[in-house]
Amino acid sequence: MKVHFFDAINVVLPQERIYSRLGFVKGKTRVAEVQKARIEQDIIRALELINLQGAAVRCPILEKTDSLFKIPGGLKFSSKSLLQMLQGCEEVIFMAATAGKEIVNAIAAGSAAADMTGAVVFDAVASEMTDAGLEWIMEYYSYELRRENKFLTKRRFSSGYGDFSLENQKNIGDILQLEKIGVRVTPYFLLEPEKSVTAVAGITPI
Amino acid sequence: MTDIRTLLKRRVVVLDGAMGTELQKRGMPQGICPEIWCLENPDVLKSVHADYSRAGADIVYTCTFGANRVKLAQYGKHDARKVNRQLVRLARQAAGKNTLIAGDIAPTGKFVEPFGPLGFEEAVSVYKEQVKGLLEAGVDLFVIETMMDIQEARAALIAVKELTSKFTMVSMTYEKSGMTLNGTDPLTALITLQSLGADAVGCNCSSGPEQMIRLIEAMKPYAKVPLIAKPNAGMPRLLKGKTSFSMDAKEFAAFGKRLVQSGVNFLGGCCGTTPEHIAAVKKSLTGIKPVPLRRRALSALSSARSHVILEDSRALCVAGECINPTGKKDLQEALRSGKMAIVRSLAKAQQEKGAQLLDVNAGVAGIDEKITLTELIRTLCVSTKLPLVIDSADEEAIEQALRIYPGRALINSISGEKKKIKKLLPLAAKYGAMFILLPLSDKHIPQTFEGRKKIVQQVFRKAAALGLSKSDVVVDGLVMSVSSFAQSALVTMKTIHWAARSFKVNTICGLSNISFGMPCRSLLNKTCRSLFRKQGLSMVIDNPLRKSSGYNKYAANVLLSKDKDAAEYIAYCKQLSEGKPADSRPAASADKSPQDKVFAAIVEGYRGDVKEYVLEALNRGAGALTLVNEVMIPAINRVGSLFDKKEYFLPQLIAGAETMRIAFEILAPYLKNSGDGENKKTVFIIATVEGDIHDIGKNIVALMLQNHGFSVIDLGKDVPVKKIINEIKKHERPLVGLSALMTTTMVHMREIIECAGNEGLKCGFMVGGAVVTKGYAASIGAEYARDGVEAVRVAKQLENICLNKKK
Repeated sequence: MKVHFFDAINVVLPQERIYSRLGFVKGKTRVAEVQKARIEQDIIRALELINLQGAAVRCPILEKTDSLFKIPGGLKFSSKSLLQMLQGCEEVIFMAATAGKEIVNAIAAGSAAADMTGAVVFDAVASEMTDAGLEWIMEYYSYELRRENKFLTKRRFSSGYGDFSLENQKNIGDILQLEKIGVRVTPYFLLEPEKSVTAVAGITPI
Repeated sequence: MTDIRTLLKRRVVVLDGAMGTELQKRGMPQGICPEIWCLENPDVLKSVHADYSRAGADIVYTCTFGANRVKLAQYGKHDARKVNRQLVRLARQAAGKNTLIAGDIAPTGKFVEPFGPLGFEEAVSVYKEQVKGLLEAGVDLFVIETMMDIQEARAALIAVKELTSKFTMVSMTYEKSGMTLNGTDPLTALITLQSLGADAVGCNCSSGPEQMIRLIEAMKPYAKVPLIAKPNAGMPRLLKGKTSFSMDAKEFAAFGKRLVQSGVNFLGGCCGTTPEHIAAVKKSLTGIKPVPLRRRALSALSSARSHVILEDSRALCVAGECINPTGKKDLQEALRSGKMAIVRSLAKAQQEKGAQLLDVNAGVAGIDEKITLTELIRTLCVSTKLPLVIDSADEEAIEQALRIYPGRALINSISGEKKKIKKLLPLAAKYGAMFILLPLSDKHIPQTFEGRKKIVQQVFRKAAALGLSKSDVVVDGLVMSVSSFAQSALVTMKTIHWAARSFKVNTICGLSNISFGMPCRSLLNKTCRSLFRKQGLSMVIDNPLRKSSGYNKYAANVLLSKDKDAAEYIAYCKQLSEGKPADSRPAASADKSPQDKVFAAIVEGYRGDVKEYVLEALNRGAGALTLVNEVMIPAINRVGSLFDKKEYFLPQLIAGAETMRIAFEILAPYLKNSGDGENKKTVFIIATVEGDIHDIGKNIVALMLQNHGFSVIDLGKDVPVKKIINEIKKHERPLVGLSALMTTTMVHMREIIECAGNEGLKCGFMVGGAVVTKGYAASIGAEYARDGVEAVRVAKQLENICLNKKK
């Protein structure tokens, strides 16, 4: 199980999702040109501070019940809802993406130094870019899998979601050797830098 | 067997269809190495090749998609060269004698530096090994396909071109967004690949034929080479446990005519297509002629993620000159120590100020320019989209940079010096770079237009002999300082005029040189730019970060040699330096009262203006408390109401709140003096609980509460229970706000509330955060707020309850 590291993930700016995350509602929210220019400028500044990196690994599922699956090395993951997604899957992909430290520091600096507006925009950009990083990794694997006549599940599951407990973050972090992309799992199973995320998706053979 | 180029002149060339899905249909199991399985089951592979050949494919691809050593290593130890040889032989045996065999090369599965871990030279070496195997078995041509990383496509193309001159097709794979996974659009890929020597460029896989039409249409107007389309049979779907593609042969072939009309010269099929699809395509193309190539040359530059077409004479293309350590101590130090942050910020700043290209120079005493220039390019390729101008006097450094640069670069520069011509012109030809032709020779810098023209013509003749065209050349007007050579601008203007209007090439100037040793340099530079532009200047190397004024007649007179010794200009500059230009700022609407302006500034979130309006209001006699109660509070309530109705979104809410905070800061001393304010405020302690590092939501709530008159004590994030309890003890009936974003940390909320209860502390609690719900809040004895606006309402309710309890 070799971890694949992605040093420079390049994604298309998820502009609509950033606006939507900030509460923008099409047809309802009105933004003056000056305000819009400022927000757009903050988005550009945020992009400059984001260093999107990722890691992913393919693992065979050795054993599976309706609430638990086991991978090589004896690691077990339990979650009924995750296992529902993994129906028919013989492999899983663990993946992680991080926006890096610089943007997180800038969010903190903005909050502390009277630029909260910039900070909330930075925060939304970093969150959406990190998610887009995971989508990029899934797309990358989709190419490989298509040629093997296999498919990646459209959905992915992150620890902390539903009954897939946050504690799984520790094992996923170890499998993905997250320290190599500058990410650590805290004793409370949070990822640092804050704008980092892990997920699991399944591989379906046909 | 017909030669491919002859065939292309006559008609659309038909390519084969999918290999992988066909092999699977014919029994290839999953999870194995297709190439090795084919060698173990040669008849199956041969049947696929033969079926495509019979269906009318002019070219079949060898089954060597994954036959590079990186991919093969995933399935054990294999001799890549031998595997390729054997697979080519099977293709040759199966395909008809009129069918051409294309050696198929595809991704290694790793991204290539600077975008990934695979070193560029390692990638070239991997592909060279494969190319050797394919060549040894006698392929007729090469196809590099399904590439998602332009740098990997370049590595493969360089590997082929360094070993053979055989016809080579390169095909990228594009996402729904119209870009490769690594962010390259089709026109950018075309510019890079056709200049690097690809004989045909195009797209395959990922999408069906309809989506591919727009990719072809984007490339055709700029294509010097034939275009390829090899779409999927629509997108794969799962039907009753089996993979199926959405288009049958008839439906797929119906797009043949449209694809050809959009500019396709090679048409085949990718995933999901079958010999039936190819037979149908062949039939659909009967009597349809391909659209001829529209150009033989193209002046354009590219990076991995964007391009600049240099044929639009309406706009002057600016190459930012700031990444050049000459005279810049901080940049010199950064380059010496390998700290690239300053380089990234210079690139971004220049881009923001309108640079379309970035000139990159690493000439610093005491460093290895070859290594540093390469490192600069690696850094810039990831941090900026702008194409680069590689600026060096060191030929080896230029060679190394051109090799690794994932786009089409501009070399700065090739002069008439013998050594430069001998070393750099072949490099420009090999890597497809454009170059700046500097009209100076080993002997001298000509001080006449005629002397410069002669050198340009000499160098170009040599370039043309290597296959370069006028579209690859940018003539430098060769700007010298007017302080040392008074006729400098005039000679340059003549050179530009001739090069642009008669020789018909792009022209460029390094503007800053003109003003060395002169006062008010920006005046001269900008005026010079206007004068040169009128002569046809198409590009300029300039500092986009420097503010400069427009055309100036005194400067023009110096440049046109009409002001002897620049006496009038110098006198003018002296006058200029004595007077200080007014710093104009947009006037606020004069008809509004200062109170109205304060109100508007908060509602609109104009932080920069509010201080002035508050002071104006105070100067006109407004009371601080009146201003707060009658202007600012209604203004921030208006912002909250707009946010509630979703007419405002978060950045507007926060901008309003920050504007209010600034206004408060100005009013604070006045409120204190008048005795209104501080002592009446309710204390609100706020914290993100222990173990949790998320605090932006908490910070927003703190800001909103401050604006509504609460005395907020923000304890920060990851705050231990004990610290919060100790803070509560210091105040009389404070309100406490707790934030948590994760299930593992929100348990501390209950702990804090229980602890306060056990110690008999009187306070009100409010909780919030992504995982916290109203139900959870109620279960632990707290109020809940979903956002900053609701937090204010809840805090006010809690405040009333606490006040009533006090009474």
